[in-house]
Amino acid sequence: MSDATLLILASTVSTGLILGAIFALVAAGVTIVYGCVWLPNASNGQFFLLAALAAWSLTGAGWGSALAIIAVLALGIVLSLLLEWVLIRRLYDVANRNVAYFVVTLGLTQIMSGIFSLTYGRWSDQFTLPPLVAGITMIGPFPLPNNRIAVLVIAFGVLAALFALLRYHRYGRALRAVFQNREAAALRGVDVRAIYKLSFLLGSSIIFLGGLLFALAYSFDLTVAWTMSVTAFAIMIVGGPGSVVGALAVGLVFGFTQAIVSIFASPTAATFSYLAAMLAILLFKPTGLFSK
Amino acid sequence: MNINMKAAVVAVSAAIGISAGMATDDARAQAGAPIKVGFVTELTGPWTFFGTSCVAGLKFATDEINKAGGALGRPLEFVIQDNQTNPSAAVAASRNLDVNDKVVALSGPTSSDTALAMYGYAEQQKIPFLVPVAAFPQLTKPGTKYTFRIEPNAAGWGYSIAKFLEQRKPGAKVALMYSDAALMRAIVAGFKYQAPRSKVNIVADVLFPQGSTDATVQAAQVKAANPDYVIVIGAGAFDNVLTNQLLDLGVKPEQIIHPYGITSQVFGWGQRSAGSIYGTFFDIGLDSLTKEGKDFISRFDSANSRPPSYVENYCYNTPYILKEALQNAGSADREKLRDALSKLKTRELTSGVPIEFDKNGARKEYMYFMQIVSVDGKRTYKSKQIFYNEWDAEVIPVYDLVK
Repeated sequence: MSDATLLILASTVSTGLILGAIFALVAAGVTIVYGCVWLPNASNGQFFLLAALAAWSLTGAGWGSALAIIAVLALGIVLSLLLEWVLIRRLYDVANRNVAYFVVTLGLTQIMSGIFSLTYGRWSDQFTLPPLVAGITMIGPFPLPNNRIAVLVIAFGVLAALFALLRYHRYGRALRAVFQNREAAALRGVDVRAIYKLSFLLGSSIIFLGGLLFALAYSFDLTVAWTMSVTAFAIMIVGGPGSVVGALAVGLVFGFTQAIVSIFASPTAATFSYLAAMLAILLFKPTGLFSK
Repeated sequence: MNINMKAAVVAVSAAIGISAGMATDDARAQAGAPIKVGFVTELTGPWTFFGTSCVAGLKFATDEINKAGGALGRPLEFVIQDNQTNPSAAVAASRNLDVNDKVVALSGPTSSDTALAMYGYAEQQKIPFLVPVAAFPQLTKPGTKYTFRIEPNAAGWGYSIAKFLEQRKPGAKVALMYSDAALMRAIVAGFKYQAPRSKVNIVADVLFPQGSTDATVQAAQVKAANPDYVIVIGAGAFDNVLTNQLLDLGVKPEQIIHPYGITSQVFGWGQRSAGSIYGTFFDIGLDSLTKEGKDFISRFDSANSRPPSYVENYCYNTPYILKEALQNAGSADREKLRDALSKLKTRELTSGVPIEFDKNGARKEYMYFMQIVSVDGKRTYKSKQIFYNEWDAEVIPVYDLVK
């Protein structure tokens, strides 16, 4: 195999993995909240963007990337708690709350989008973060930035921890019980409202982390909020609402689809190729690949 | 306060200050009511950086002109309105300035979209329209009568790059990586037209959709094609990503050509891009800077903590061009001003390049190619001029290439 072919192959694999890992992470956050709270949060993309913008502001003010990430994650937790307290919990017991949540979060999306446009619009040609880790690792002829390796390790590490949490921890078992049957879980002594709160906090924090990792790996602009929101919902639907494994598998499929289509067709075709894949999968498995 | 915040404060202060400053200028200037020019620019929305940078340049020239007695013995007043980077808002503001302020001319847009919207209004209402910074070719399409454009058209930039490569490396193999935006498509159209005529071979041609954030795979494809030069035109911060990914793959900075570069872009490319080449229309590293040009750079830098680029320079020159045309016209009458602009033969105050307009309002075009020597964080940079050329706008079929 020639160096040129190896170069293209390695770049395709690395792009598929990194993009897929970030997609999977964000979709996992979305699916936990939707599967447990029945909250299709239309403002996910805006929170993803908020994390990236906050980190950009802090690094622009001289903070190191690592410190900025920790600070933004802390901010994400505080904001999630605040949002849950002010807005989300008020609809926990509303019939057909998924529709109410969707409309409310759609409004939130519009508000946040307007604020970002007013406050950050002027800097939209400058949104990149300094690397978390400097240097390059050669994989054959392909130089992979260590920063992207760090992003990959963090993303897969968090996904593994999330899987273990849901699988083996008491909270995870309670959360899965609420996923499956809210009333039955309550009868078994699970504090359903507390689980809702924890799920929202966990899911939102993961979305915040996704925004941070994306900003570390790539440049971004204000349109990334919409792109990521659609992608995360698509992954959740194809993977099966509530399934973290589904989010991981489909996230990687979407990531690799984008990377492969962009090399064999064009970067433009790649932007909608995975949505075509979603439609194709749903034709054969309307409930999602990993739904239970 | 970081540099971004500082720049924002300075830009907004400039926008507010220029209006406030007019009152002082009114008092200082000679007898007579001010000559009003409508300046509709991007103070909010995605193009804010360009609009506010433009206003910062405009302020310097307006102050200087009014301190020296204004135009036709009257103060020159730029009535600034925000078009929100929105074509409809740009037309609404133009109408307001036309009907309520009775402006003698319109100016201000730094985006081709808003400029095209104002173009329709200005041509229909027969108002002289001096476009400082907008490169879409159709702004000076055949039949244009009232619109005059200071910035060369974008297809011409592509033509100029091919001419530069023809001289620098005959038979050069070139890869193109660009975003799918009107400006980028126009540059590439001009380049592709001229490339075979200049014996330049295009070995890779990669178009990215708007909103792209990664080019790992395409950069590898381009590297595998083994080009002598890569022309990089990414939208927004994607430009930095493209550049860095090419550099990561071992493409040398000297092989990278950016068709245009402003100060913030040079800072974004950073020190690792030292040696790379960019096109421009004004730069701190020009060989031909006049005394006034050096003075403008120095004062702008002091006030804004960064050097000006061609955006600020064009907006600095705009009031001087209007002043000279008004003096030649002998009155603040729209038709006379239009005629004076169409006959104007002058030079940019800051660099001495010729300013004259053809029958469609297109300027005698020109472009500098600069090479980055060093970049000092986000404070300043050094560059050297390596090529300059001039051409007539219609040396290529510009209005057929880009519709």
